[in-house]
Amino acid sequence: MKKQLGLLSMISLLFLSLPLAAKEISVKVSGMVCSMCAQGIHKKFSKLSEVKDIKVDLDTKLVVIETKDDLNVSDEKIKELITDSGYAVTSIDRK
Amino acid sequence: MFRSLLVLLFLSMITQQVFGHPVIYKDGFVISSANMASFSDNQVMYSWSNRWATGLNHWRFSKDDQHTEYSLLKVNHLLYRYNGESSQGNIYLHGGIGHVDSEIETRDQKLASMAGIDVDWETRTLYLAAKYYHFNSSKVSNLGLTQVRVGFSPYESGFDQLQSWFMLQIMQLPRLDKSLMITPMVRFFYKNVLWEMGASTRGEWMLNLMVHY
Repeated sequence: MKKQLGLLSMISLLFLSLPLAAKEISVKVSGMVCSMCAQGIHKKFSKLSEVKDIKVDLDTKLVVIETKDDLNVSDEKIKELITDSGYAVTSIDRK
Repeated sequence: MFRSLLVLLFLSMITQQVFGHPVIYKDGFVISSANMASFSDNQVMYSWSNRWATGLNHWRFSKDDQHTEYSLLKVNHLLYRYNGESSQGNIYLHGGIGHVDSEIETRDQKLASMAGIDVDWETRTLYLAAKYYHFNSSKVSNLGLTQVRVGFSPYESGFDQLQSWFMLQIMQLPRLDKSLMITPMVRFFYKNVLWEMGASTRGEWMLNLMVHY
């Protein structure tokens, strides 16, 4: 029993010591046809302390937000920033 | 704050604009510059929401080396935006108040106002735009500016790539010249900088620059 508990503790410690995987949020945006106009999206999300990286893809109409470890950006905040940038959110997909 | 206002005022005097983006993303600035021999348009605008922008605007209209200049405090409003899957359409309204200084009719300075409408529709490879601006003053004859633009891009560029456009601009300033001014031009933009170059069928060069920040 002691041996099993020891093993369980070791496994738990191993998992705790691993860095948490960054979350990826894919946001489908409509109206995104001009790369210069879409710079506003990049600018707005880059300012968030929770965001590690942001990619804007005009082919797929996706804005992919990578958040920092154990941090998140709410759907409301995403919708607010996309709307402030002049676009509309079609869907939000979290991985 | 006062220093920032001075910088904005200065920028508005050295830049010109007549080529779109009247309202951009919330808290964004647009500095733009459009310049031909017969007119120039200087503008610095701050978008305080995704629907409204306020700023300073200076126009010069020239005929036979004499000028009419409008200096205006301007408000732009995004009245309607269509965000489609692969296209976007916009209707903008413009309003401004300030003063006019004219050498063409009578050397006088007087209160002036302007109002305008801007309509555009674009995909990643097609661009259509039309606008009408009306300048009004009790001392100087009213002036109307009508402009239509049609453009295409030979390729779809990515977010961080150079985008190139071929465009045709047709403009009329009836008070200065009855004939149409037709200007074939090229437009490029990269990240937050846009520039355009062209030459009208009358031989006037055109050079436009716009920066978002």
